[in-house]
Amino acid sequence: MNIFERIQKLDRRWIYIVVALAIILPLAIPFNSDDVTSPPTENLYQFIDAMAGRQDRAVLMSFYHDASTMPELFPMEVAIIRHCFERNIKVFMLTWFPQGAPIIDYAINTVKEEYPNIKSGVDYCNFGYIPAALALPTILGMGDNIATAVKTDAEGRKVENLEIIKGVTNYSEMNLVVEFSGSSAGGTWLFYARPKFGLNIAVGVTAVMAADEYPYLQSGQMIGMLAGLKGAAEYEKLVDVFAAYREPGDPTEAPRMENGNRKALGRSFSSDILREESIKELINITTQTTASFSPTEYQEFIAKYPDKTAIFDNLKLEKDGKIEIDVTKISDAEAEELGHTAHADLKRMTHNIIYKFKVARIGMNAQSVAHIMIIVFIILGNIGYFIQKARQAKQQ
Amino acid sequence: MTFELFSNLVGAFFTLAIFSFLYKDNPLYQMSEQLLVGISLGYGLVYSYERVFIPYLWQPIFLKHQWPLIVPAILGMFYLLRFTRKFSWLSRYPIAFSMMSVGASVALAMHSLILVQMRQAMIPIENFNLFLIFIGTITVLLYFFFSKAHTGVYGKFVSVGKWYMMVGFGASFGLTVMARISLLIGRIQFLVNDVFGKLF
Repeated sequence: MNIFERIQKLDRRWIYIVVALAIILPLAIPFNSDDVTSPPTENLYQFIDAMAGRQDRAVLMSFYHDASTMPELFPMEVAIIRHCFERNIKVFMLTWFPQGAPIIDYAINTVKEEYPNIKSGVDYCNFGYIPAALALPTILGMGDNIATAVKTDAEGRKVENLEIIKGVTNYSEMNLVVEFSGSSAGGTWLFYARPKFGLNIAVGVTAVMAADEYPYLQSGQMIGMLAGLKGAAEYEKLVDVFAAYREPGDPTEAPRMENGNRKALGRSFSSDILREESIKELINITTQTTASFSPTEYQEFIAKYPDKTAIFDNLKLEKDGKIEIDVTKISDAEAEELGHTAHADLKRMTHNIIYKFKVARIGMNAQSVAHIMIIVFIILGNIGYFIQKARQAKQQ
Repeated sequence: MTFELFSNLVGAFFTLAIFSFLYKDNPLYQMSEQLLVGISLGYGLVYSYERVFIPYLWQPIFLKHQWPLIVPAILGMFYLLRFTRKFSWLSRYPIAFSMMSVGASVALAMHSLILVQMRQAMIPIENFNLFLIFIGTITVLLYFFFSKAHTGVYGKFVSVGKWYMMVGFGASFGLTVMARISLLIGRIQFLVNDVFGKLF
């Protein structure tokens, strides 16, 4: 019996062990890898990003799934909510599943922890669970008036009285819905809202469903798609490179302009920036603890906190013409003295990505190793099969 | 021990209990599976009572006195008569009524699923990708045209459609593998970070 025939007869439990190791090892030993972004993800990112700071634009996120598909869909939801919070984009959420309601809360709370200034009813609004039986009147009703179709939010407040609804009446303003689902993503919106109101639709789907959604992308009925963990990883990367990017001198809070809109912080999408070598330091998923500035950048940074200059000067180290601050060396007393805003701003300058905002990218490391292993299994299995077949033919 | 860690430990226990099936079927796996079904059903029932029955039926009828709502309420209750032999026929009425949504969707679905998709398949062949889509659409459609035998030149032409479908199935399989691996990754990330990471 040769090796290929042995593999054919291998106990499946050995294969399970190999699969488990192929996933556990890359998770235990993280490494930096680049998730090349695909057009469906970039298109969705750009569409949402075009709403940055505008009071008369909003995104609706539909959480049409339960916990069973969370590993793939939850990182996408977190990434999009983070994008909206970073760029001051109004965001509404709803679910047609009772089990989807706690997932919305979990997603909001996961992101909101890092954005203390974001407020419910002002920057985002959770409509909560709406029974699937009411999907038709709700979807059609929102095309006329959102506050009439959905009278109260998940916290029981009248939607018409919320600040977020000012400037947002119907699909003319809330002109993008992103539905996350493990089955028929976007279907209801595609049937009812797209032909009647011209609503823009995008989906976040599990990888299994991605092949079914491509025809709608090709025909332009969907403006973008996040496909499985890969789509989530790509979106996480785009948020880090553009929406969460700050120059040392950038303000920490977006100022309001005369027309009521807010100045969007971060930077706009650009394919050229994605090709730059410098973005590598923005997408590192390994831990970064040092904020590095040129002397000019350092002056711009500390100018934002004139009363805290002494603390920063005390923390800084000069190295090869650069000024560096290691955030792990900041004591609790110093952190308290700096205050939350300055401390968070300094941490942002390290380009360290918090674990919950890089979950999909860490997962993609394991995914890559597992894929190579499965390809090897398929090749070995096929060789073994054909050898066995040839031997049987010879014996006959 | 915090409540979060305790709930994560419960999650870890049931994750490992479900994984134990990979070795062989056992009572722990069966208990976890049945608990999952029971909890999902119970959760959905209570949540529907709180978020559907109370705000859409109880409050409008008994607090706001919107009496006409009694008619759909009775119609809805006919669903429950499915469990009686004598009156089970009445359950067909709410089913027939709910078919209204199917009627409402026919025209709009026809637009989205057929007309727009067809229109996009009829655009000028300006590049190689569009040429491939054109050939694929024609050959796959002809493959399912059974009034003519798949023989000779025609047979060879329609077999191109079969190859297109094979490529499609391969892509679907690859994506399915990716999805299943993602689920496993999600569980292992939970065990590594949310359980072991917080324990040690």
